[in-house]
Amino acid sequence: MAGTLPQSSTQVDPVLAWQSWEPSATDPWNLKWAGHLYRRAGFGATWTELQEAVKSGLAATLIRVLDGQPGAEERDRLVEKAGAAIASKEEADALRGWWLYLALQSLHPLREKLTLFWHNHFATSIAKVNRVDLMFRQNRLLRRHALGKLQPLLLDISRDPAMLIWLDSNTNVKGAANENYARELMELFSLGVGHYAESDVREAARAFTGWHTDGDEFEFATDLHDTADKKFLGRSGRWNGEDIVRIILEQPAAALFVVRKLYRLLISENESPPEALLEPLAQGFRKSDYDIALLVKTMLSSRLFFSEHAYRQRVKSPMEFVVGIVRPFGGSRPATMAPELEAMGQLLFAPPNVKGWSGGKAWLNTATILARNSFAKRMAVGDAPSKPGSPPPHGDVSSVLRRDKITEPSRAVDLLVDVHLQGDVTKAARLRLVSFLAEGKLKDEAFYQRAREAVLALWTMPEFQLA
Amino acid sequence: MLNRRHFLKQTVGSSSLLALSSLVPEFLVNTARAAEAGKDQVLVVVELTGGNDGLNTVIPYADDLYHKARPKLHYTKNEIVKIDDHVGLHPSLRQVGDMLQKGELAVVQGVGYPNPNRSHFESMDVWQSADPRRRSGTGWIARSAPELQGNSSHIPAVHLGPKELPLALQGAAGGVVSLGTLRSYLSEPNAKDNDAKTRKRLREDLVKASATTQKDSMLAFVQRRQLQTYATVDRLADLFRPPVPAPSAPGTPAPVPAPAPPDAGIPGEAELSAPRNLNPKLNVVAQLISKGLGTRVFYVSLDGFDTHAGQKQDHAGLLAELSNSVAGFFQQLKGTGHDKRVVLLTFSEFGRRVQENSSGGTDHGAASCLFVAGPAVKAGVVGAHPSLKDLDAGDLKYHTDFRRVYATLLDRWLGCDSNTVLGGKFDPLDLIKAKI
Repeated sequence: MAGTLPQSSTQVDPVLAWQSWEPSATDPWNLKWAGHLYRRAGFGATWTELQEAVKSGLAATLIRVLDGQPGAEERDRLVEKAGAAIASKEEADALRGWWLYLALQSLHPLREKLTLFWHNHFATSIAKVNRVDLMFRQNRLLRRHALGKLQPLLLDISRDPAMLIWLDSNTNVKGAANENYARELMELFSLGVGHYAESDVREAARAFTGWHTDGDEFEFATDLHDTADKKFLGRSGRWNGEDIVRIILEQPAAALFVVRKLYRLLISENESPPEALLEPLAQGFRKSDYDIALLVKTMLSSRLFFSEHAYRQRVKSPMEFVVGIVRPFGGSRPATMAPELEAMGQLLFAPPNVKGWSGGKAWLNTATILARNSFAKRMAVGDAPSKPGSPPPHGDVSSVLRRDKITEPSRAVDLLVDVHLQGDVTKAARLRLVSFLAEGKLKDEAFYQRAREAVLALWTMPEFQLA
Repeated sequence: MLNRRHFLKQTVGSSSLLALSSLVPEFLVNTARAAEAGKDQVLVVVELTGGNDGLNTVIPYADDLYHKARPKLHYTKNEIVKIDDHVGLHPSLRQVGDMLQKGELAVVQGVGYPNPNRSHFESMDVWQSADPRRRSGTGWIARSAPELQGNSSHIPAVHLGPKELPLALQGAAGGVVSLGTLRSYLSEPNAKDNDAKTRKRLREDLVKASATTQKDSMLAFVQRRQLQTYATVDRLADLFRPPVPAPSAPGTPAPVPAPAPPDAGIPGEAELSAPRNLNPKLNVVAQLISKGLGTRVFYVSLDGFDTHAGQKQDHAGLLAELSNSVAGFFQQLKGTGHDKRVVLLTFSEFGRRVQENSSGGTDHGAASCLFVAGPAVKAGVVGAHPSLKDLDAGDLKYHTDFRRVYATLLDRWLGCDSNTVLGGKFDPLDLIKAKI
């Protein structure tokens, strides 16, 4: 573990916490930390990626996950073009499948992870927007800004047609302001409750009057815009929406608010960190002109990140669970997976309300656990009873054993546990798996068949649900 | 006092989880007084999704303004099922009317909340969180879960249906189960499916083998939830499959057990998934109650009430389904002797506009009516019908805060403290019979 950080986050030195981790002989870079980094900075790693990461070291791996591989942006743009075409057909599940495909294929999974984060942050639902193409365009907007700067992101989302429909902006007019967007902008998107007054909501709403959509594009309805003087967060002027965003970002609370949410995404969902711990990050965020990539880099390289404070302290969201399992297979059929994600509680493009999915422990209830198990079974062993020698349609999880012709139960378990959990199982679990694989003294195809059952079991373990 | 092993056997059944009972979650293992199945009152909540048109459900047929406002959609005094000289029921609600006459159903009128919200999901949030300001992220039933459970080992609240867990049941620390369409719970190994049985054993062994040094760690949490899931699966399997009879005395031939097929008498996945089906869902609920699942609150929904156009036929069909299902539900329960301990509540996120629109339908409104049904219910019409003249922007005005209905059911039926659950005191209504 990175140095000896105190157990409780209230005792961790905020300066030490965010310093870059430097592996040492007593605190080495290894499979465990490589797996951890790949899970947090994306959707998990393939066995090849893990082995490569251990070999090339922390620094090289960090660059790879933070910056993405060469050609990443190009590839994503191409896939986005396909997305536009798919979105125009107005089939929501098709667009969901498209996003899963993009996440699976991306050479920069971190950006997809952040796109998903912003999707939940600016939670907009197709249930009200009712236009698949507009949801796609919002998704593209979020991807564009995912690792960019906060101000342009806030400005662009304020003009996004899906968002404008979602929060009733067309009814926000001079003389009859609708406060919906102004309120959520401050409460949920930038400052948090307690850092503005009701009067600020009213004044901000006035500043956003006329920020409408014609149903397809942003449209500034000049004659419906309230040009009079407004007093917002103590500042007076004939404010427009752009000014509101600017003034919001002058508040210290803004940086802290976003930092706290990113802490939950990247570090831990298990405890609420004290403000003192987040303050150095918030300061850095402000100084850098709200540079998201820089903030993310600081967090993912830190001593706190590479410590037990962060290790397995998040529950994998359904998208992480699914993409993490499927990614190593390469060619899969993600279009069919949207309903399964829904059964796990995450219908993409349809968060339950403007607060988004609660995430964390809320992902796991009895029905969603069964849904995860059901998906895992479909991927590992297939649905129909299969005969030895016939792998399930999505790929063969025992290929890693097959490659090196490993049929000895103990060796097989060691390798599978490394591949899927980077060694993170108890001795008792290991022994149980070995006895499972050893039953019947199976050989060749029959053994590999049984190995698939072992992988299924690994995917249903409590450890595997945690990122 | 049941001893621990016997107690576990009763609740966790034949599950392999019995072997390592120290890891089974507390709510399954509590050795204090266990509420015996069949003794506690049950509430079944039926969500009518979309905004049920209350004005055409409980109809003020004697008011001219009603007929004037709805030239296409109105029902005449000859068509309605008469309740009294002021109101009658939609013609599809004949069986509901029968229950009312028999003294087993109450109609509550003018139900709503201040500053009505006409957005589906926002108003639904209000009803489900019992918070008109929509700041609570938890559900009223979830908040009742700890008290509902008390010292028993039973699952306090259950959701049945294809959609995700409704807000009403979200936010409970534990103990709320979503049964989906039951299929994934019942597709457990039968005697022939060795693969699935082996898989199940392996999976459960591995959960138990996980490291659990800290009780409040994420890992411990996941482990508990998984164990709860598998225990629920086992519990349901036990309920729906008759046990193999014990071997007979030596010397006599062993009886050949003929267990019913695992899914005997349970509606199929398609039936339980269909949004406009209520009957199969209530059928399953009645079975779960009768078989002694021990759950206190069940939650199901019937979808399709957002009748902006072509309302006449659609609404009639939906109300017919509601009427037949509710009547059938209590008949089923009467057959197993459980009807007196069950009360059923219907609710919808809002009513609809008084004036019909130009598409043969109605738009989102505000105040509406709801039903509270069951032999334990004090029958009658509670509250006057809202005025059709004194409207709130074209909508009926409420006079009874919906939280009063919740408070009544919490305090007087479920034995929970409504003040804690609802975050305030709401005057109860006279809905429950003093003696059944």
